Amino acid sequence: MKKCSVCNSNEIEIDSARGDEVCTNCGAVLSDNIIVSEVQFEENAVGNSSAVGQFVSADSKGGATGYGKFHVGTSTESREVTLRKAKTGINHLCSILHLSNHCVDTAHNFFKMALSRNLTRGRKNSHIYAACVYITCRTEGTSHLLIDISDALQICCYELGRTYLKLSQALCINIPSIDPCIYIMRFANRLEFGEKTHEVSMTAQRLVQRMKKDSIHSGRRPSGLCGAALLLAARMHDFSRKPNDIVRVVKIHESTLRKRLLEFGETPSSALTIDEFMSIDLEAEQEPPSFKAARRKDKDRLQRLCDENEFTSLQIEIDAALERDLKKSRKRKLPGVPTAAVEEFDETTETDKFIVASIDNVIKEVLTVDDDAKVKKAETNVKAEFKPVVAPSLGLKPDLLALCTVSEKEQADLSMNKNASEVIDDLNLEDLDDDEIDGYILTESEAILKDRLWNQMNAEYLKIAKEREERAAREREEGKPEKKKRRPKKKPIGPSSTALDAIQKVLQEKKISSKINYDILKSLTASTHEKEENDTKPELPEVVDETSLPRPGTSRKTYFNLSNNRRSKVPQMGFPMASANEDDPKDQITTDNEDIADIDGEEALDIEDAIEQEPTESDRLGDILNQGDADEYSGPEEYF
Amino acid sequence: MEHESPLKQILNSPLKLSVALPQTSHVVPSGPQEAINSVKIQNCVASVSLGCELNLQTINFRTRNSEYNPQRFHGVVMRIREPRCTSLVFRSGKLVCTGARNEHDAHLAARKFARIIQKLGHNVKFIDFKVQNLVATVDLKFPIRLENLNQMHGQFSSYEPELFPGLIYRMVKPRIVLLIFVNGKLVFTGAKSKAEIAESLENIYPILHSFRKN
Repeated sequence: MKKCSVCNSNEIEIDSARGDEVCTNCGAVLSDNIIVSEVQFEENAVGNSSAVGQFVSADSKGGATGYGKFHVGTSTESREVTLRKAKTGINHLCSILHLSNHCVDTAHNFFKMALSRNLTRGRKNSHIYAACVYITCRTEGTSHLLIDISDALQICCYELGRTYLKLSQALCINIPSIDPCIYIMRFANRLEFGEKTHEVSMTAQRLVQRMKKDSIHSGRRPSGLCGAALLLAARMHDFSRKPNDIVRVVKIHESTLRKRLLEFGETPSSALTIDEFMSIDLEAEQEPPSFKAARRKDKDRLQRLCDENEFTSLQIEIDAALERDLKKSRKRKLPGVPTAAVEEFDETTETDKFIVASIDNVIKEVLTVDDDAKVKKAETNVKAEFKPVVAPSLGLKPDLLALCTVSEKEQADLSMNKNASEVIDDLNLEDLDDDEIDGYILTESEAILKDRLWNQMNAEYLKIAKEREERAAREREEGKPEKKKRRPKKKPIGPSSTALDAIQKVLQEKKISSKINYDILKSLTASTHEKEENDTKPELPEVVDETSLPRPGTSRKTYFNLSNNRRSKVPQMGFPMASANEDDPKDQITTDNEDIADIDGEEALDIEDAIEQEPTESDRLGDILNQGDADEYSGPEEYF
Repeated sequence: MEHESPLKQILNSPLKLSVALPQTSHVVPSGPQEAINSVKIQNCVASVSLGCELNLQTINFRTRNSEYNPQRFHGVVMRIREPRCTSLVFRSGKLVCTGARNEHDAHLAARKFARIIQKLGHNVKFIDFKVQNLVATVDLKFPIRLENLNQMHGQFSSYEPELFPGLIYRMVKPRIVLLIFVNGKLVFTGAKSKAEIAESLENIYPILHSFRKN
């Protein structure tokens, strides 16, 4: 029988015609959208027929709405309110950004996902909305930048970026990388090229493609790349656009723009004429500018090192030999490619040779030892290091198996951590120079000076601190309760070797449900051999069903039926079923039941015997779950 | 010039080398082991408890190179020159030592700070010295295609050139965050030991190698 959630009375009137449930005792409307099992249709005056009933939206959780709401807290769905707010927020943002309805829905769904995973907690609503919209933009491939959204809402771009990254990571949304090309059209439209907008943007597109080939784009903002390309394209089409005009549209600094242009200037493509550029696609792809810069720096450093050291004559000899080699290769391999490429090539050969030279010594050492095993080992090492690369265009995938398994070393570490509790805590003074330490300590007069100065500078703070302390003392006297301290975070669960182990750790961490019969759960993972035996036996396992012992409300724990005559020597009291074999502490699931303390040693042994006689096999899930009448349930009773 | 002959021999006879090594190594200038050897630790953060309540005000005005501005930060900032380290000393007796170049330096510096405080008349212990964070860098010397890496390893990586030029790779095992840059330079953070850094580099090297450009 259903009870009123407000006054617990049983007198509830259900009016199926109106579709509501009203408590006749207190007058609360419990539900105004009753769901009926039969479908009725009615015919209106014109002759159209329609189904009888009210529309219940997918978002709503049922219960009373509208006029039934006078009881605050009984039926207001705060989640519904949150979702409605989110909808308006996302709608507002999307309308500013000129996004379609479809995008609004997608963003709203992202928000729902975030809400259900509790990711909204601790973050500003506006950030969450914006992040959802931005994720939508990225997945749909619209030409919106993060900065547009932060601009529209006037929020910090990086803060928004953090929220967005957290959200996309937590919701496992794989977001495609930005392609700078999609922003060109948008920027070109705002640069007033008139009829030639399309042509200019196509040229800019080609420039960006080329820059991408030469890896100028990686690690750089797409807007900077587009700006440089658009400036070049505008000039190529005889528009006079100053860097300032571009800067205003793409919103980057002028120096960034100039840097991109210089970087493009270093690629061989920049040496081509306009016509050539539009028709020729150079095969060679350049290394990223930052990589070139790093190599240049290395070279400089090496040079400086060589200059400082004395063995210059040898150096000159090597340099000469290298120079000769380089000249040869230059003649052979690169006819007529501009200088930047040549330099790059030279470097690689050069480094190759240096490395070969350095490796040689090691090899020689190994060879002179003439130890077969050693050579073999070195070879296998080398093989292991250079695993054949599968499909270089694809690249290696993450090795998930390695992530999930626990190495012996880690387990050893874990056990060692447990053992290593006794460490000497005294300060070890050896090799500390007392004179040096004394140097850091001020003399009496200096200390007084510093103290005076400090007190002067912090006078205000000291005053406030004193006031605060006084207030705290007063409050303590008045008997105000101190502010609650936050609960410390849960300890992280260490790695576990098997699934069973992991489950047990989780169970120890928090007792998931008292409805689970843990003994049987444990037995499920016991040897499969026994299980097969059990399968052949049709009779029920001897586990005592909870239903035979209905004791609702006596305890939250589940108990064996102790009235069973086999265990009659055990005193009439419950003992937690989870307190299984003592010799296997790992399997033990701790319970905080005081009853166990009352059982003295002998009896405890008896209990154990009793448990061991218990047939532990069962493959019926229904046996694992108890009826649950003995469970504590915090919700209202009508749910049962 | 007789002395330079071995080197010159090497330069002139690559054939002899290729017998000793598989050809692959000839193409790749450096392997993971070499990369591990060239890892450079940049910063080491360690913490220790001195096991007693401290009077920060006296510590502040009795020491050189110390700052105490309770309005901004609730700890004394103290510096020493050898090893060049900064420590944050808190009232609870906890001491955090940053700026050391390796674990040993961090340990030495922490002991020096403890000694200074001991000399000021506190009953100092040295409990639970622990390295909390190591930051290390390495240059792999080959460019990396970050987009493709991000595409394939999306569950661990995030690459947003609008926000940060590097790719952030959150390795699960060992639990380390790597910043991977297009020019082949790597930054490791969040490691607790050198071994963890070596392990993570060992893990990531073949992956990055497979995403190298050219």
